[in-house]
Parts: sequence; structure tokens; C-alpha cells
Amino acid sequence: MASKSTTRLLPGREPLSREFIARHQRARIIKGLAREASEKGYRAVTVADIVKRAGIARNTFYDNFGSKEECFLAAQEFAMAAALDRVVSAAGEIGDWPRRVKVGLAAFLGYIAEEPALARTCMVEALAAGPNSVKYYEESLQAFVSLFQVGRDVSPFGSELPETLEEALIGGVFWILYQRLLLAETDNLGDLLPELVEFALTPYLGAEAAREVAGEEAAGESSETYE
Amino acid sequence: MRDPVNPSVESPEYPPELARLPPGRHGLPREFVARNQRERLIAGLAEAVAENGYAGTTIAHITRHAAVSRRTFYEHFSSKDECFVSAYDTVMDELRRRVDEAFNGEKEWPQAIRAGLAAMLDFLITEPHLARLSMVEALVAGPVVVERYDAAIQGLVPYFEAGRKGRSEDVLAGLSPTTEEALLGGIVSLISRRIFADRTEELQALLPDLVEFALTPYLGSVEAAKVARQR
Repeated sequence: MASKSTTRLLPGREPLSREFIARHQRARIIKGLAREASEKGYRAVTVADIVKRAGIARNTFYDNFGSKEECFLAAQEFAMAAALDRVVSAAGEIGDWPRRVKVGLAAFLGYIAEEPALARTCMVEALAAGPNSVKYYEESLQAFVSLFQVGRDVSPFGSELPETLEEALIGGVFWILYQRLLLAETDNLGDLLPELVEFALTPYLGAEAAREVAGEEAAGESSETYE
Repeated sequence: MRDPVNPSVESPEYPPELARLPPGRHGLPREFVARNQRERLIAGLAEAVAENGYAGTTIAHITRHAAVSRRTFYEHFSSKDECFVSAYDTVMDELRRRVDEAFNGEKEWPQAIRAGLAAMLDFLITEPHLARLSMVEALVAGPVVVERYDAAIQGLVPYFEAGRKGRSEDVLAGLSPTTEEALLGGIVSLISRRIFADRTEELQALLPDLVEFALTPYLGSVEAAKVARQR
């Protein structure tokens, strides 16, 4: 006991390692919740399930979260932030808007394919997890709306586009992805890229120009050759 | 034996499950009473859920709104979930029937889509409790209902697919196997976000946007906007 507390009190070192452990624990709990929820549905998941899946003590769970709901909200925040980060760092620097959309969507699909349980938690289970998480889901959709709205500046029909267009486009893209997640078909998600790009760009550029961008070489490669 | 006034018989516009049998003694045949009890329970659930949300609704809430006993509830349903599934199916059948009727009432496909969407919005606006039940509470009512929700939306795909008929090669080349799904997903998302946020009054104004969004891939944005702004 004595030696343990001495180690913990080492100056400089203690805050770092504790923070590291705490963050690691949080991530493990969040992923545990996501896996449990994607297997049996959020409503059926108990704190005991999460604790078991994460391989931590029950107390540790409650050190981090007040309840299952709080843990779920944290999972949503974690995954949405990670997905947006992925999109922005892949596409944020690309000047040409249609290509930026394409690279951004590719990054988004990439994240979902990598983290299907977390993605499912955010896109499928979120709507079942109570008003706070629905609210958060709505707000995250809004973040994507502003990424799309830029398209109005480059669109010849920019001023005539319906006000709700971006909301509808994102709803559509999310619905397609939601279907795949629901059926646990995330292996070939990348194959959806051309059709999603075409769907998203058509209202801004017209069908022909949208198809052209959608049909170009793999998005990741072309963005690298620009730089 | 006098027939009680039964709104479900009087009004063919309305499915019996969603209308209410007046309470009191009526001396009706056993089977009829049973069916009406079931219908009242479904209507009771819709009211209880609108008041308390799905998670907060208890069987006591449902039986109170339906004005039947707890025992009667269990003669018809084994659980709240089962009652919800029945209610959900009833609402969706009715919504589908109205959309179908409106769609088939028009000769031209773009107008048919417009009429179908208008019928859907009308139903949701005039029945805010059922709108909430079918578009919001359905998602929290467990995997069985989510599956049905999904199937109900996918069941609307053929109305949109009908728009492919007679289009030029060029237009068809611009459509993908998932175009209709994506359009529906977008439409449902616009509608349900407003219901989630208790902004049902905004639904009416949504019609032109929904029509334009739905028709653009098939007609191009200029023509789609024209149909959207008709009337």
C-alpha cells in the first residue's frame, strides 16, 4: 500500500499517467458499450454487460459515467468527433468543392468501415437512446449540413435551391449507410462512394457534371496528386 | 338491441382501430366487443405514448386511456411491446392506404408523387399523436418495431421507381440502384426531424421542397421546381 501511494505521488509523472489511464479506460468503456449495443440493441444493454465487455470493475464505470445514458452520450460524442475529424483532415484542404465532397465522403465511409460498432451506435441506436442523444444526433447532422452548404456558392442554381436541400441530402446519405449498418454489411462500404457522390452533387452541378466527378479515379489518390 | 353510434362504421375515412368506441354497456356480440376492445387499446396506447413517451408508458396508462381493465389488456396483448407493434402496424397501414389512394388518383407520375407526399404530410399534420408514434416513438420501441419502420419506408421505394419508366438513357445513367432509397431517406429525415422537435406545424410548408428534391434526379431541377410550385 505504502509503496503504491508513493509511486502515485511522484511529481510530474502522476498526472500524466493517471490521465492516460483514465482516457484509455473511457475509450474502452465506450467501445464496450458500442459493441454490446450493436449486438443486442441499446435498450437491452445493462451496465453489467458494459463492464464485462470492457473488462473493468463496476466502480471504474461509475468513476467515469453516472449512468448508461451518460456513457452512451460520450460514445456518440467520441465517434462523431472522430468521424468529423477524419473528414476534415482528409478533405479540408482541397480547394475544389466537388472533389472535397468526394474525398470527405470517402473518409467518412472509411471511418464507418473501421468502426462499425461505434458507427452503428451513432447512426442506428442514437435515435433509440433518449431525447439527449437524439438532440446530439441532430446537432451532428447540422455539422455536415454546413460542409455541404458551401456547394451553393459554386452551383449555377445556387440561389434557387430549396432551403432544406442539405438536410435532405444528408438524411439520404445517412439512410443508405444506416441500411448497411442495420444489416451489418460494412465490408464493401467503399463501393457506395460513386453513387453517394453523384447523389450529393447532382442538385448543385446537374446530373452530368456530378457523374463525371463521381466516376473519376479513386478519391484518395487524386487528392494526393494535387498536393 | 340498439346499435351504439360507432364512429368507425360511420366514417369510412378512418380505420376502426384509430377511432373510439363510446364507453358503456352495449350488449354487442362477444366477438365484436373483443375486436373493439382491441381497437380501443390501440387508440389508448397512442394517447398514452403521446403523453408519456414510449419508455414512460405503463400498461396502467394504456388501460386508463382505453377505459378497459388490466385483465382485458392481457386478453389481447402479452406486453406493452406487443400492443405497440399492433398500433404501429395499424397506423402504417392507414398511412400507406392514403398515400396509395392519392398516388393512384393522378395520371402523371410527377403529380402522383406530389399528391402522395401531400397525403402523407396531411395525415401527419392532422394526427400529431400518430405522427409521433410512427416516426419518433417507433425508433425507441425496440428492434421488432425498428425492423417494421425500416420495412415501411423501404415499402415506398416502388412509388419512386415508377419514375424511371420512359426516361431517356441519359437520365437513367444518372440514377443508381440506391437513388430511390436515398431520396426516401432524405424525405423521411426532413419530416421526422420536425416531428422530433415538436415542430409539426412546419410540415405543411415542406411540401414544395420535398417534391423538388424527389423529382430532381428524374426531371432535372428546372422541371422539378416547376411541379413543386404548382397550385
